[in-house]
Parts: sequence; structure tokens; C-alpha cells
Amino acid sequence: MESPQASPAPTPSTTQPRELSRLAALLRYEILDTPEDSAFDDFTQLAAQLCDAPIALISLVDDRRQWFKSRVGLDVSETPREISFCTHTILGEEIFEVEDALQDPRFRDNPLVVDGPQIRFYAGTPLTSPDGYNLGTLCVIDRQPRRLNPEQRAILERLGRQVIRLFEQHLLAHRHAEQAALQQAILDSASSAVLVTRSDGVVTSVNPTAERLLGYSEQALRGHPLTAALFRPEDLQRRAALLTSELQLPIEPGFGVLTAPLHRGRREMSQWRLRHRNGSTVPVLLGVTAIHDEQEQLRGYLVNAYDLAYQEQLQLRLQQIAAQVPGMLFQFHWQADGPSCFPYVSEGVEQVYGLSPAQLASSFAPIVARVHGGDRSALLTSIRRAASELAPWHSEHRVEHPRKGLLWVEARATPLRQVDGSVLWHGFVSDITARKAEQLELDKQQEMNRRLLEALSEAVIACDAEGNLTLFNEKAKQWHGADAEPGSPDEWAARYQLYRADGVTRLQPDEIPLRRALGGEHVVDHEMVLLSGGAPRHVLSNADPLYTSDGRPLGAVAVLHDITERKRIEQLQREFISTVSHELRTPLTSISGALALICSNVTGEVPEQMRELLQIAQQNSLRLSALIDDLLDMDKLHAGKMRFELLEQPLRPQLETALQSNRSYAERHGVQLQLGECPQVQVRVDAMRLQQVLSNLLSNAAKFSPPGEHVELSARLRDGQVRVSVRDRGPGISTDFRERVFQKFAQADSSDSRQQGGTGLGLAISKELMERMGGRIGFESELGHGACFWFELPIADQAKESP
Amino acid sequence: MKQLKRILHVEDVPSIQVVTRIALEKLGGFEVLSCQSGQAALEQVRDFAPDLILLDVMLPNMDGIELVRQLGQLLDLQQTPVVFLTGHLQPERSQELRQLGVRQVLSKPFDPLQLAAQLQQIWEAEHG
Repeated sequence: MESPQASPAPTPSTTQPRELSRLAALLRYEILDTPEDSAFDDFTQLAAQLCDAPIALISLVDDRRQWFKSRVGLDVSETPREISFCTHTILGEEIFEVEDALQDPRFRDNPLVVDGPQIRFYAGTPLTSPDGYNLGTLCVIDRQPRRLNPEQRAILERLGRQVIRLFEQHLLAHRHAEQAALQQAILDSASSAVLVTRSDGVVTSVNPTAERLLGYSEQALRGHPLTAALFRPEDLQRRAALLTSELQLPIEPGFGVLTAPLHRGRREMSQWRLRHRNGSTVPVLLGVTAIHDEQEQLRGYLVNAYDLAYQEQLQLRLQQIAAQVPGMLFQFHWQADGPSCFPYVSEGVEQVYGLSPAQLASSFAPIVARVHGGDRSALLTSIRRAASELAPWHSEHRVEHPRKGLLWVEARATPLRQVDGSVLWHGFVSDITARKAEQLELDKQQEMNRRLLEALSEAVIACDAEGNLTLFNEKAKQWHGADAEPGSPDEWAARYQLYRADGVTRLQPDEIPLRRALGGEHVVDHEMVLLSGGAPRHVLSNADPLYTSDGRPLGAVAVLHDITERKRIEQLQREFISTVSHELRTPLTSISGALALICSNVTGEVPEQMRELLQIAQQNSLRLSALIDDLLDMDKLHAGKMRFELLEQPLRPQLETALQSNRSYAERHGVQLQLGECPQVQVRVDAMRLQQVLSNLLSNAAKFSPPGEHVELSARLRDGQVRVSVRDRGPGISTDFRERVFQKFAQADSSDSRQQGGTGLGLAISKELMERMGGRIGFESELGHGACFWFELPIADQAKESP
Repeated sequence: MKQLKRILHVEDVPSIQVVTRIALEKLGGFEVLSCQSGQAALEQVRDFAPDLILLDVMLPNMDGIELVRQLGQLLDLQQTPVVFLTGHLQPERSQELRQLGVRQVLSKPFDPLQLAAQLQQIWEAEHG
């Protein structure tokens, strides 16, 4: 039968819209280039047999070729589309038959006819998809001219339709396989445990998460009723009872407890404890979904179980932490225009506010009610402010605790803005009643200290470790004429008019006691003058560094004691002593002179009975003269009236002179004076004053030496100075006297003084004299081994050494 | 060699005057004229014609230094040594005294037993 289109070979264009849709339909079946399939081969076999042809093909035509899904009697798997017979077939809707290709102008030059399989006969039926596209053909081919009989044509068409049906099945199976793989992948990768049951609750499938969560393999669970395998009977019973009353429907304690709410239109999550294979239970949140097929037939259930163990663990941890915190931890949800509440409050809320967490789950009001009326509005204001500024919040307020009475509590929290504009706070509240009490006590003590400072008759000044003045008590302000002001210690002397004891020399910064104490020094009785108050105020300053309990520098404190009055009285005393001494001196000179003359028999022999009394009178008049002389010397030294005639002179003659003039005195005590070594050096001294010092030291040494001993006077060089020593063999100087040796009227023992006949001023004067001459004086002594008093003088000029 | 014999002594304090005079007379064998003031000394110095003048610095009305200056107009102080008997003198004053021809300053309080011998020594240093 001729094709309705007996035209030359068509040149189908893929640009034609119909052809594009056809190609898309072909590709949708995903069958091109798939492996051989016996299901298709059955059809080609059948077609070949029934049509009595050596070659049968299922040929699919794409844009450039025809590809054979199945073939009988042909070795090639595809041929180019241009030479394909099937290309003609798919243009029509019925069988396309070529009885003798050599006689047909469309095919007689076709290479498939001329060469290759040498086709003479072709009959193909189009394979038409349900949506009307011809995807290819089922065709039979012979090498000799012929034609199909009507039965064969009918068979070929029928077989063609079957092939299309097979394509459809193939496609469906492919789709199903994909779907199944996807479902499996979803199940496998689901982070929740998924169990699939039949409608009667028997497990059919379990994902790996469920296997891990419950310890059972899919195999172990498959075929078992879900509730019997994994649920605790008591849980099921409790739940059944609950549902029975809720739904007004008898519910058995079985699988029904999971599905009953679903069938009443309630999709809910419920908490359960599932039995693990190892005997423990696993906390889960369960969701159940019904599975229906296309016909709305219930096929089973999907049971999702979310692991709550981690959450439970977190909860437990939070509880444990909260239990350790002295106070309450909270999460507070605050809304400007809505109800505020506590999503979380630890049990500590009872200790702080006398409330239970449950009382605060939905409202903030119970806490506000507990807050002391006087603090309530300030608390709410601070919450609002912190919420608007999102700044860390801190509040101290009083709480009327039903059990504990009035408490002081401290609250701290950090507000976080939420997307919806509300604010979430995390924080804690603690009972600080005890601390507050301590604070109040401390405040009281500080107030006490402050009052104490103000009540003092001394001025107290303190500074911090950086040298900033931090404290002036009332007296300090008054005396300095100013309050503590910021400024470097270098400015203190000028700002507060600090002067040396002479009242005219401004203190250098490193002379200021507070500043010295800041440097770690312990300053005792430093005399200075404050001029800011008009009349000079003489003060003694004591200053000490301050340290924290762990030894870090904290600053320094100075205490000034006003000695202006004392100085005035001392001045009066000195003037009095000076006057009296001067007045006493002349009569004493007369008395001593007269007695000396009488005792020396100048005025005639003194009767024996009178001699002893006269001698007593003479000795005591001499002692009085010495005392007066010393007092006058002291006075001159104090008043700065003593003049020194400093002359450079060799030392040795001075020592010899001193030995000479004190020899007779020493001999009266049975003591020998000796001159030891003496370098040939020059010293710059007032000879008379040097003699005074030497006399003092030598007479002291003689006085305190036991009779028969000797006292050695010597000198030696020492660090560019010459040290002159007077060494005795006396009892030495007791420890408690050492500090006072050079003080006025200091004597080791008052009973001693009378016996030894000193004025108590000698060493004090000697010290002053030596210092005025640029030297210094000191002593070394070991109790029981004598004493060695020494003075040191700078060497004047060694070039002028005398021979 | 001329002997030290006549000493003019100026001292305002009577008790000191007496002690000094007795010490000089009894221990030195000198002839002593004691005056209580510079005025008295100036009035009597020519008549007495002393070999040596011993005087205090601190005197009422006219001090020792002024007295020496005025005495210098009445007699030749090169021939008549002047010796001061005083407490510690200020250095510039002792300088002044030396320029006036004052030989020696003896410190007060003096030892009455030594005074005569000290004056004798000064005298011999002048005339020896």
C-alpha cells in the first residue's frame, strides 16, 4: 500500500515546533541508549515471526538518527536519519509499506537498499505516545519484494501499540524507582527518628536515626506492633485514660493512643519515653502523620520521634547550675505594651522573692508586688530605660519576703532586642542583705573616721599612689589656707607655702615629708613652716607610705603637729636661760676667783677646819661655772651667734695640746692619756672649739675609765676624712642610752652625773660644734668593753702637710 | 730690763675687781690701780703711769675699745701693753683691737691663780 505522501524523502527540520515537541516527548521516556531489554526483544521476535520477515526493529527517531531499542536480524544499532525508512513512517499515523525499494524512486538509491542489508521490502507502524507523538516505529524488513497480508498488518499495528505501552511502563517504573530512592534518602538523612507503620500499627520501615536512637535495627522492629515494641504499658494506659476523658471516646491503651487525636482532627506533638533496646528509656517528642494513597485510602502512619535527651540534659544542667548560684537565674521577656513574663526562673526565686517559678510563668506582676513600695517605681523605670538603651541593667532594691522579712537584693541582666521588638533579658538576682548591712556598717565607720579626723588637733593629709592629694582634714585646710587640689607634688611647696624650719627657704619637692613618704620613706618629726596662714606656723611632720594588704602602694599620709606655741615657749626658755646665765656668770666668776685665791693661801694660811669646806665651795663653784659656760655656748649655737674662726692648721699639735690640758684632770681620776698614731694632715677648724670638743671627749673618757687604765687619743685617714678617736676602757654605753647620747642633759644615770660631775651638755655641744665645722661625731661601744667616741673632719689640703 | 710693776685695771664689777686686784697683788706682787669706769681710768692714767693696762671690753658708758682709743691719745701704747680680759670676742672686733695695739686677749672667766703669771709672760714677750 502506497503511502499517502508519495513524495520524495522528506527532510524533517528540528526547527519545526511540532518536531521539537516530538523530540521532547521522546526524551521524556528516557529510553534512548538504554541497554537491551528482553521485554522489547519479545516484540521484535514476534513481529519477525508473524510477518515472516528476517529483520524486525523497534526504532526510535531522534534529531539525527534512528536508534534501535530492539532488533532481530540486524547488526547495527543505529543508522543516520536521512537514509531511514522510519523517518517516513513517523510522518503518518498508519503502517508505511514499501513493496520493492528498487522500484521506489524515494529509496532506490538508498545505501540501505543498494548496500548493507540490501532492503527490498519495508513495513513499519508508528509508535505513537498517548499524547500523540510518533516516537519511532515497529518495523519488519525483507530482502525481497513482497507485501503484508491484512492479518500481518493488523498484528504489526497491535504489536506497535503494545510497545508504546511498554514504553509507558518503563517510564513509570523509572519514575517510581526515583521516587523511592528520594524517599529513602530523605528517611535516611532525617535528623529525627522516623518509623513507618501499617494502618494497624505494625512497623514496616525504620530510618537509621531511629535505629541509632532506639538501639534496634530495622529488621528487629519490622513486623512488630509499634506500641508493644517501644512504649511502656503504664505510659500508654495513662495516655489512654487522658484521651478517653478528653475525646469522650473509649481509647484502648495501644496504638490507638497515637492515632486517635489525629482522627479527631488534632495534629499534636506529645512527649513520651520510648524503651531502648538496652533497657533504658529515651525521651522523645512524637508526631504522627497518616499516609493515604491516591484513593484516599489509609495506608499507614509516619511516626516522627525527636530526641529530647540532649534538651533534657541541657535542662538538667541549667537546673544544676542554677541550684549552685546563690540567688535566682532568670530569662525575662519584656514587652513595652504587653504582658511581661519569665520563660525561665530558677528555683532560687523562692529565696529572693518568696515566689515559685510557676507563679511567674505567665506574669511579672507577682515580683513587682514583692518589691518594697519605695523602690518599685525606680525599679520599673530602670527596666524601661535599660530596655530602650539595651544597656546592661543593674538594680538594688528592697524586697518584702513573706518568710524572711525585708531583704536587699541586687539584680543584673543583659537585655537583648528580639525581632518582634520585645526584649529578652538574661540575668540573676541575689540576696545582698548581709553585704548591704556591712556596707552600712562601713559607711558608719567611715563617717566615724571622718569625724575623728575633723576632731583632731593635728592636720592630716593624704595622697594616692600617683601623688594626687585625696584628703585634707579640717585642720589641714585651715593651716594650708586651701583644700586638697589636684596637682603634681612639685607644685605643693608653692601652692601651700611650705618652708624649711628657718621660715625663709621654700621646701624643695624632695624635702616635703608626704612626697618622701610616697617614695617609701618613713619620715619622723620633720620640722617645717607653713606660711599660708599669715603668721608662720611651725609644724612637725610625720609621714608614712600606705600599702594595700597585699603590699601594693596605696599612697601616703602625713600628720602635721603644730609646734608654734612650743617653739615660742622654747624661745622664751632659751632667752630666760641666756639671761640668767649671763647674770649668774659674773658673780660666779667672783666667787670662784675669790675661793681659788683663799684656797691657794694667797691671803694667808687657811685654818685646817675651814679648808675642806672651802674646797667643796670652790669645786662646786667651778662646776656651776662650767654649766653656765655650756648653757651659754648652747644658747649661742641655737641663736646662731657663735662665731667660728676657721683656720687651716695641722691636726697633730691640736691633739697634743688637748692631751696637755686634760692630763692633770685625767690623773686626778688615776687615768693615763696616750697619743696613738696620727697622720700629718691639715684641718680647717676653730682651734678653741676643737679643743672644747677634745676636752669633752677626753674628760668623759677619763671620768668613765676605772683607775689605772689609760685612754688613747688617735687619728687615722678614712675615705678622704680624718677620724679622731678617743678610746676608753670604761663600762661602755648601755643599749637604751645609745640613742640619747648626743641629746641635751642626757646622762646615762642621774646618780652617775653627780658622782662624775658633768653638765649633761658636753656631748650635745660637741656634736653641734663638729657639725658647724663641717664634721660629724659618733661613737662605737660594746657594753663592758669600753667606748670609742670619734669625730671626722674633712682633710683641708694634703699638699700642705707639715713635716 | 724694766720690771712689770704698775698695772692699771679697769673693771666695772666690784667683786671681780677685788678678786683680780688681790690675785695680781698677792701672786704677782704688782701695784694695781682699779678703776670702775673708762672715765675714771682716763682721769687717773697719767698720775699712775702704768706699765701695763688690763681691761674689760664690756664697760658702762664707754666700752673697752673706745677706752683704748682714748688712752692712746694720752700715752704711748707701744710702751704700755694693753691686755683685754673678756669673753669670746667677735673676730672683726679682735681685728680692730690688734690695729689699736692691743697685745693680748685673755678669756674670761679667768683663772685668778694664773692671771699674774700670764701678764708676766706677756710683759716678758714685750720686753725680753
